[in-house]
Amino acid sequence: MKKTPVVMITGASKGLGRALTLALAKVGVRLAICARGEMMLRKIEKEVLSLGAEVIAVQADVADIRDVNRFVSIVEEGFGGVDVLINNASIFGPGPALLSDYPEHDFAEVLRVNVMNPFLVTKRVLPGMLIRKKGRIINLTSEAGKTGFAEWGAYGISKFAVEGLTQTWADELQDTGVSVSMVDPGEMNTEMHRVAVPECDYELEDPNEVAKVFVALTLDETIDLHGKRFEAQSFLQEKRDER
Amino acid sequence: MMSTASSFQVPKYLNAHTPAEYKGIQRDHVRLMTLDSVTGDCSHNYFNKLDSYLLEGDLLVLNNSRTIPAVLKGKRGKQTIEIRLSRKLTSNEWEALIVGGVVTVGEKIDLPGGLAATITGIGAESPLLVLSFSKNGLDLLEILYQYGEPLHYEYIETPWPIEMYQTVYASVPGSVEMPSAGRAFTWRLLNKLKKKGVNIAYLQLHAGLSYYGNDRWPNPNKHLEEFCIPAETAELVNKTRKNNGRVIAVGTTVVRALETAVNVNGNVEPQKGITSLYIQKGYPLKAVAGLITGFHEPEASHLDLLSAFIDKGLLMKAYKKALADGYLWHEFGDMNLILPMGERQ
Repeated sequence: MKKTPVVMITGASKGLGRALTLALAKVGVRLAICARGEMMLRKIEKEVLSLGAEVIAVQADVADIRDVNRFVSIVEEGFGGVDVLINNASIFGPGPALLSDYPEHDFAEVLRVNVMNPFLVTKRVLPGMLIRKKGRIINLTSEAGKTGFAEWGAYGISKFAVEGLTQTWADELQDTGVSVSMVDPGEMNTEMHRVAVPECDYELEDPNEVAKVFVALTLDETIDLHGKRFEAQSFLQEKRDER
Repeated sequence: MMSTASSFQVPKYLNAHTPAEYKGIQRDHVRLMTLDSVTGDCSHNYFNKLDSYLLEGDLLVLNNSRTIPAVLKGKRGKQTIEIRLSRKLTSNEWEALIVGGVVTVGEKIDLPGGLAATITGIGAESPLLVLSFSKNGLDLLEILYQYGEPLHYEYIETPWPIEMYQTVYASVPGSVEMPSAGRAFTWRLLNKLKKKGVNIAYLQLHAGLSYYGNDRWPNPNKHLEEFCIPAETAELVNKTRKNNGRVIAVGTTVVRALETAVNVNGNVEPQKGITSLYIQKGYPLKAVAGLITGFHEPEASHLDLLSAFIDKGLLMKAYKKALADGYLWHEFGDMNLILPMGERQ
């Protein structure tokens, strides 16, 4: 009998992470989720359970190696391994600010959190996947990770690093059975976007819609992910056009 | 059991106290002494050159058990007590060593995170005791990872983080000490070996405590360890032997697990279980032809196990060379490959 896949999502209590968690709970995967805030984490854990999905929820700061080891080890013990990892957690840092005004400590912190966390979690999850010769790792990027935009500060710069991390790992993991890819979800109506663009006057995508793209990328084994960069908005547009 | 004791002494300066990565070199740049198990001939190299001693069709078997933070500090009244976990018995019971106080059955130890442990019995061998924790399963694991530390022995001067006590492929949490023979492998070296046609397989044996303090060592006849041999690994071992390839165990834990799982027909069967197998001089090895291991102390039963691979006189001669040549001992130390080299031609 085929086992239900285990999907690990970091930063699962808010924004896109939360939408992803609920969308995947609805299709019945086993979920391994974490977030820094205990209260919001317990809230989404309850929601997942009420949807009938199995979940391991661990309070953890994924930019901290000790927390990463605790989180992944508990999941390996509880579920026996991780099939899909979605490196979703990130911070934005201060709202719209010119680099010339950007506080040095915020710059260092945004880079540390956003670059270290996908490195630490991937490195920790990878051995199990390499031994099973199977696994999918999906990193969250941004349009600001490909093009430098004024006032997006360290966030965009950290996403440039995430794109480099994804490409390097994709090159190293060829022919291992483990795929590494990245998804740009586009601009969404989330708390983070309100910090980035406080006076937004254009329409934003609903994270619950974007989450549907991830359900496909996570579970549809006919989609070749390895080394690719996906734009969720184009996926959604294609589906709308099909209708 | 202690037949090799006092046959040599490891000087303090040969205790490796620093992981390779903290010495500015990679894991696989520690030294490698190869030892022909038939002739006793030694050669000296670096571990990243391991591929030059292995052949297409050989099989390396690795233990991918992951080290857990197995040391917890607690209180019994005002007394500080250290618990060193050794072997998981049930979801809330462990065999453990208690350091720092005399404790008796029925007593309770208060631990951080609202955890408590009650001593409920005597372990499989002295001085191990059975502890029953107030939490179980993943909740107990959560507390261990929150408050526990990896086990450091006396020769380690720096409290290295637990990542230093992991092999790069460790992915099944459960060992209280690192299965250290695999520590020097990098994924880069594993990829190089695969490219050469050397097969790689994995099993799990959760290593228990190898030292009880105060010159007390596990009795190898009573040293129980949990293991699991996946079907794919058993199949590869049997196929390799059938094709006259060499099965090379990475670590004494792998030898113990594989030899335990050999059936009457000489084949390894996939299984989960607990082993108490004591391998020593004269033990007829059925599954394993060679061994990659560290350098062992004279008192450790590991040396007895090595004597099943090679004549003890030849082994001691090689160990004397290793001592004279400055090879480093213990988990962060150098490596030793024991293999019938003649089969390379």
